[in-house]
Amino acid sequence: MSPNHNVPTSPAQSFRARWTTRIIGITAAVATAVTVWLGLWVTPPDETQGDLVRLVYIHPGVAWVALYLAFALAAVASLLYLWPRTRSLFWDRLAAAAVEVGVVFNVCTLISGSIWGKPTWGVWWAWDARLTSTAVLLVLFLGYLALRRVPAEPEVRAKRSAFVALFAAVDIPIVHFSVLWWKTLHQGATVLNPNLSPTIHGSMAWTLLLGFVALTLVFVWMLLVRYRIGVLEDWLGTGELDLALRERQAEGGSLDEDEAA
Amino acid sequence: MRYVVAGYVIVLSILFLYGLQLVWRRRRLTRAVQRVVAGDTAVPPGPGREDR
Repeated sequence: MSPNHNVPTSPAQSFRARWTTRIIGITAAVATAVTVWLGLWVTPPDETQGDLVRLVYIHPGVAWVALYLAFALAAVASLLYLWPRTRSLFWDRLAAAAVEVGVVFNVCTLISGSIWGKPTWGVWWAWDARLTSTAVLLVLFLGYLALRRVPAEPEVRAKRSAFVALFAAVDIPIVHFSVLWWKTLHQGATVLNPNLSPTIHGSMAWTLLLGFVALTLVFVWMLLVRYRIGVLEDWLGTGELDLALRERQAEGGSLDEDEAA
Repeated sequence: MRYVVAGYVIVLSILFLYGLQLVWRRRRLTRAVQRVVAGDTAVPPGPGREDR
């Protein structure tokens, strides 16, 4: 086993990193709890949607994180990896972390949207341009994660993953503009519309905004932890499966020693 | 309202469980790294170990 990457070993550095992550995590949890409280108990029901509007405080937030933060960050990091002057495994690990977290948020986007769609449209799913392009995005980035599990040298894996991330990222603007380019069941943008004039006001707007902030903080915390996992995996020069096998072998070895004793 | 509650419960549960899984993975890997580092540094110099 040859450790091939530096793991922060300075106690001060790791202390700072641990506390930064912890503070972001606690802030994210508190902000999410306040969003839930405002969304479920404080804000009024909508005139046309009734209580269903309460789902709007989380659905656009998770979609924002998946599309505009996670997958866009993965695309930028992949581009920086492919660019010869900025090529570093840091960008590869950042892209991998962003995609994994983004996939989780993308799943949340589809589920929360589907739960809102059933009572509103009468169906759990419609082959609508926005919904379909979002599902395609999920499949593309699941492919990215599958590709990363194919055994290869770190540089080879990083290069081909970066190409796939850039290919998948082409779908991001398609998802965003789908409500403008095609006739869709999905409503147009509430905040990021072409006029940049939000169509939501008062306590509803503030709760929506807080939802965006809370879920962004959740994303940042998850990204930091997932990035750290990538660093540790690279340092060990192993995947999680290898690690599990090695742990089992170690357990078996200690059992054999006990029996021999 | 049951759709709203279901939406919140499912989304927050997914995020919570994924977060928990991340923490568990990080702890496991950190312990593995510590074991490797301890294994590398705690080997006492002795007979038969001069070539290491």
